[in-house]
This record gives sequence, structure tokens and C-alpha cells, in this order.
Amino acid sequence: MPAADLPSDFWAGWILIVTAVSVAGLAWLIYSVYFGAAAQEPEGDETVWDGNLREGSHPAPMWWFWTMFASLAFSVLYLILYPGLGSYAGALRWSQGGELEDRMAAYEAEFDSIRDLIAVAPLEALRADAGLMASAKRVFDRECAVCHGEDGAGQAQLFPNLVDGAWQWGGAPADIERSIRDGRRAVMVGWRAVLGEAGVARLTALTAAMHGTGQPIDSTHAGHAEYMQYCVACHGPDGSGNPLLGAPSLVDAATLYGADLAAIEHTIAVGRGGEMPAFDGRLDDMHVRLLVAWLTRSDHAP
Amino acid sequence: MDGLGLHRRLEANAGLLTFGILVVSAIGGLVQVLPSVFQDSLVAPAPATRPYPALQLIGRDVYIREGCSACHSQQVRPLLAEVRRYGPYSRAGESAYDRPFLWGSKRTGPDLHRIGGRYTDVWHRAHLMDPRSVVPNSIMPGYPWLERRAADADGDIMQRMRALRFLGHPYTDAEIDAAPAALAGATELDALIAYLQGLGASAGAPPR
Repeated sequence: MPAADLPSDFWAGWILIVTAVSVAGLAWLIYSVYFGAAAQEPEGDETVWDGNLREGSHPAPMWWFWTMFASLAFSVLYLILYPGLGSYAGALRWSQGGELEDRMAAYEAEFDSIRDLIAVAPLEALRADAGLMASAKRVFDRECAVCHGEDGAGQAQLFPNLVDGAWQWGGAPADIERSIRDGRRAVMVGWRAVLGEAGVARLTALTAAMHGTGQPIDSTHAGHAEYMQYCVACHGPDGSGNPLLGAPSLVDAATLYGADLAAIEHTIAVGRGGEMPAFDGRLDDMHVRLLVAWLTRSDHAP
Repeated sequence: MDGLGLHRRLEANAGLLTFGILVVSAIGGLVQVLPSVFQDSLVAPAPATRPYPALQLIGRDVYIREGCSACHSQQVRPLLAEVRRYGPYSRAGESAYDRPFLWGSKRTGPDLHRIGGRYTDVWHRAHLMDPRSVVPNSIMPGYPWLERRAADADGDIMQRMRALRFLGHPYTDAEIDAAPAALAGATELDALIAYLQGLGASAGAPPR
């Protein structure tokens, strides 16, 4: 357990002395009010009002004394057991940070037996376990849903759909694991300066015509020549994309930024940038494995 | 003299009684507050804590102006559930360059002391413009006007930094001179996002 954050030197002595003096002073005050010489004296010439109202001075009842006594005893016991007297760490060596570390260690130890098993288990076995899949969904809700949506279907035309079977960076378990661990950064540059407005319009029309067809590019299209010059390097001669570069397929039905003409034109003219943060420092192997299993379930990937 | 005698003297002398009350009520402060003012681990900047760069400083002022601290605390308590959810618990020295600190005690939204790097800038932009575009059940209001106001709209970033330097923030002349350029072209939304992305940097490595 780490030591408590305690004052040192002069101020430790200061705390010690002021505390001890005030506790001792209180003890003397209470004792002498009840048992001192004045408390034992007869009350003498007290004033009597209206012949029967006496202005006596009596100590408070004894239950009050015992309450004060118990409070003082508690203070002394507390100051012996816990940090409070200057730089004295207390007989129990308790500290707030130490308490947290103990609890954290106990919490982590709960998963010790299963953590390594999950990290190396075959994905089929993880997918077949309903309890583990429920846990995986909770990890997804906590870490992923804020961007990709609670159902994983993407949001805001900024964060990709993870349940439509289209994987910009590859859908194999190893690809998905890498996306989670290391993050991804997709860059589509803007082409307006190169293509000019007319070129952007031709490629916008071509892209809209390709979208969702699943067919190779129409080589008679007016934008075909420019596609084969500028776009082919990333999106491929057949428009099917390149997962190594994160270049999406242009012929499937999936879309991130929208498939209407305005969205496509913006993408081509101005460009787009997508960023998936790296989770390697935040999730351990068990969590990453559970997420990969959950994301590659058969009822997700068509 | 014993306790009752002392009591009678105090009761009969208003000046003495006032003095006695002041002494007794000062003891708690003398023991608990005064030494902490001189305790290095409580007042010195934490090792990774730096004064806010110009853009983040504007973002922090926007954060205060828009009342973010009314719903969001910046204080992760040393409890298992909080550390698991947010990250390392907050240390006093991390607030050395916060004037005023924004710890807060009211959480309508989540704590933000470890929000930096958790989401991308793109997410923050979408979320601040319209929170429900990314968190459907959010009750947070949108702040679309931040995108329409320049970060240097007030034109007083150098004065703000000089004022903080007067209070002990170690800005260099070069940093202050470069501040207007650092704000050029940025909106208040950019500044706020820069501030949010910087929160938690003073904690060191992210939690596992």
C-alpha cells in the first residue's frame, strides 16, 4: 500500500501540537466543569428573583459528560489508528490511494482465471457463448456505441456501419482486431484543383451510377477516362476498393458520407478524412477478443 | 482556576468571550487548512501539468462562458467505479493552472477530467453541434453558434496570458507573442475541442 500523502517537518509538528493541545484542553475543561473544585462548592449567595426564582449554576447532566467523554475517546483512538497527527501514518497504515489500489487489485483478480482463456479461445467458441456475447455487447456499448451507434449501424454519416458486412479496412478477424488496436486514419484528398468543376461533375455522375450495382465500371461513361487516371490507384479498376488503404468499394450498397449527388460531389471535390482512435492502451486482450467475436457474429456479417 | 471559574469569567466579559470564540473556531482551520497551503504535493503543479496553450485557454473560457461546468464535473474521485469509468483519479496539483478550478460536484453529464483523446475531433464537432446526432438519448443542448464565432473575436488573448503570468503561470514572452497567430482561423468550436482534447493530459499515461 502506498504511503499517504502527509505533510512533513514544521507543519507536521504544528498539526501534532495544535491537535494534542486542543484535545488535552477539552479533556481538562470537561473534567474540571464536572469534578473541579468550583463544581464541589456549595452555591453560596445566589440571586433569588421574585422570592422563588433561583439563578443556580449546575453542571450539565451526566449523560452529557459521558457523551463528551466518548467523543474524546473516539478522537484519540482514531488519531492512533488513522493518519491525522502530522506525518504519523496511523497504526493501520490506511490511505485513500491504498484503499483504491486494493479494491482495484481485487476487482482485476476476479477475471484472472478467464482473461487469458478468452484471449486465446477460438472465435467460434466465444460466439457460441451467450453470456460472453452479452458481455461483449456491454463492452461495445461502453467503448464503441458513442460513435458507431448502439446497434453498430453507424451514425451521423461520419462513423461507419459495422453490421452491414462492408469493411473498408477488411472484414477478416485479424483486420478488425488491428483496426481496434491500432486505429485507422482514412484520407480521401480533394480533387477539385486537379479535375476542375467539369471533371468533378463527370466523376460524381460516374460514382452515383456505380453505387450499389455490384457491376464493374461502365467503360463507356464520360468519366471513365478520368477514373482510370486518378481514382483507380486506390479504388481499383473495378471499383471494388482496397482494404489495405481503407479505400472503400464504390460499387457496393454501403456508404458512409451519403450516396446522394451533393455528398458524392463534396467527397470528390473537397475530400474526406476519417479517424478511428487506437484502443490498445484502453482495452486489454480479453476485451479486444470479445469485440472481434461480437463484430464477426453470423447475424451481423451477411 | 478550574473550568467553571473560567466559564464565569468569560460570561462576564464580552471582549474575552469574543476572543475565546475566535480562538476555538480557528483551531480547525489552523490544523486542516493552513498546513495544506504549504504542502507541496497539494499546491505545486503535477509533473505533466502545463499552462494552457493559447487555443486551449480560449476553449477553457468558452467552456466557462457556456456553463459546461454546471453539468460536467472535472474531478474523478478515488473510487473503483469512477477510476474504471473515467481513468486515474484527479490530483490537486493538476489544477495548478486552473483559475478558477472547475472541479464541480454536480454531474448531469459525465465527468470530463479525462475526456482528452477519448473521442476524435470529428466526434466532438458532431456532438457539440448536435449531441443527439451521435448520442440519441442525450439531453445535452447543442452549441452550433460556437462554429460561427472566431476564437480571437475578443482580441485580448495576449492580455489574458499576461494576467495569468502575473498570477504565476510560467508563460514565456515568445508564447505570448505567438498567441494571436495560434488563434488565427480557428473558431470557438475549434478552441473548445482543443481544450477538451487536452483534458487529462496532466494525468500521464491512459488507464488500461
